[in-house]
Amino acid sequence: MAKLVLAAATPHNPLLWRAMRDPMPDDLAGVAGNFARIRDAIRDLGVDVLVVVGTDHIRQFFFDHAPAFVVGKAAHYHGTYENEVRTFGMEYVELTGHPDLAERIAGRELLPEAIDFAVSHEWRLDHGFVIPLQYLRPELDLPIVPIHTNATLPPLPSPRRFAVLGEHLRETIAGWESDARVALITSGHMATDVGGPRQFAGSPDPAFDAEAVAWMRDGDLEGAIAGCRFDRVMAAGNVTYQYVNVITALAAMGGRPADLAEATESRFASSPFFMWRDPA
Amino acid sequence: MSKYMIDKFMRAVEMSDADVARYVADPAAFVDAWLAGAGGPHRPTDDRSLTEAERAAFATIDHEALYALGAHPYLLWHFIEAAHTHEFGDGFGWRDLVERYRADVAPHGHVDYIP
Repeated sequence: MAKLVLAAATPHNPLLWRAMRDPMPDDLAGVAGNFARIRDAIRDLGVDVLVVVGTDHIRQFFFDHAPAFVVGKAAHYHGTYENEVRTFGMEYVELTGHPDLAERIAGRELLPEAIDFAVSHEWRLDHGFVIPLQYLRPELDLPIVPIHTNATLPPLPSPRRFAVLGEHLRETIAGWESDARVALITSGHMATDVGGPRQFAGSPDPAFDAEAVAWMRDGDLEGAIAGCRFDRVMAAGNVTYQYVNVITALAAMGGRPADLAEATESRFASSPFFMWRDPA
Repeated sequence: MSKYMIDKFMRAVEMSDADVARYVADPAAFVDAWLAGAGGPHRPTDDRSLTEAERAAFATIDHEALYALGAHPYLLWHFIEAAHTHEFGDGFGWRDLVERYRADVAPHGHVDYIP
């Protein structure tokens, strides 16, 4: 059977792409170091497939079609868009998919009991997916199953449904007749405001950031679900809801305390870094 | 419906380098041309409309007005960033735009941007 050997959560701040270069600025050494820790773990654990849970930034999925959860079933993906190349200096990338695992996750005929998926066979992944992959697996050689979670366009799925997603991923991977070693990567951030009155002025809500670290450090799944109610999260910043993706990782690892749980300080708002290694 | 059209316009422009260049060169003409490209009966899913206030805000690249009208903040910031990047130089740069934008939208607080 396949094995979920690692879950992790990282930031996807595209401003890092220009700033985090050698010689490494002092304030970004912590961010670079934590990306490296997770990158090394993926390598050391012999990961074969990456399931990447992230949120499209109103690019592929706009207000005309805004599903709650989308599983990518494509064999290949193009990465990033013209505007992200222009604004962030990113590079176009090509990624390989894993349609077999994607189909197991999404279901072939009936949806899972507790969560509804849409599927996509044609998906250009934005920085929410590309940035973590470029830092965690620069070779971009591992097949991926991208899963979009709508954390941007209300009405949003509730935090408990993100936990259900994590439990579903754990069960699906455990039941997959394969010897593949799978890692789950979730992409998000701590309290963040973009386009509002608190953007680019440090964390808009350090108290939320501290709580958000504690839930993962302590393995407090119910605390995370209760603490991530819509009004509280949005009060922490208008795009903070992408933090809720971390709940998927916590649930997938059975709600146990993370081995790494940190809000890493830098010139940017605090960056989330969480990691759970399989204890076996 | 109107907020949806604001967001639709911003996304359409910001996703394309060529359209950003055309918009910046003559905002009012670009807005009117965009509106004229509406779907009609043979293209049932490409409706385009803006109120006069929305049209005026886009025609003058008025981020404060667009914010107050309910533009989605994430889309708005990236749209405004795209529309002003050509002005960056020794005397005005990204950080200056951040500060100006933030000061202009702050008096409006948290607006309802849900279409």
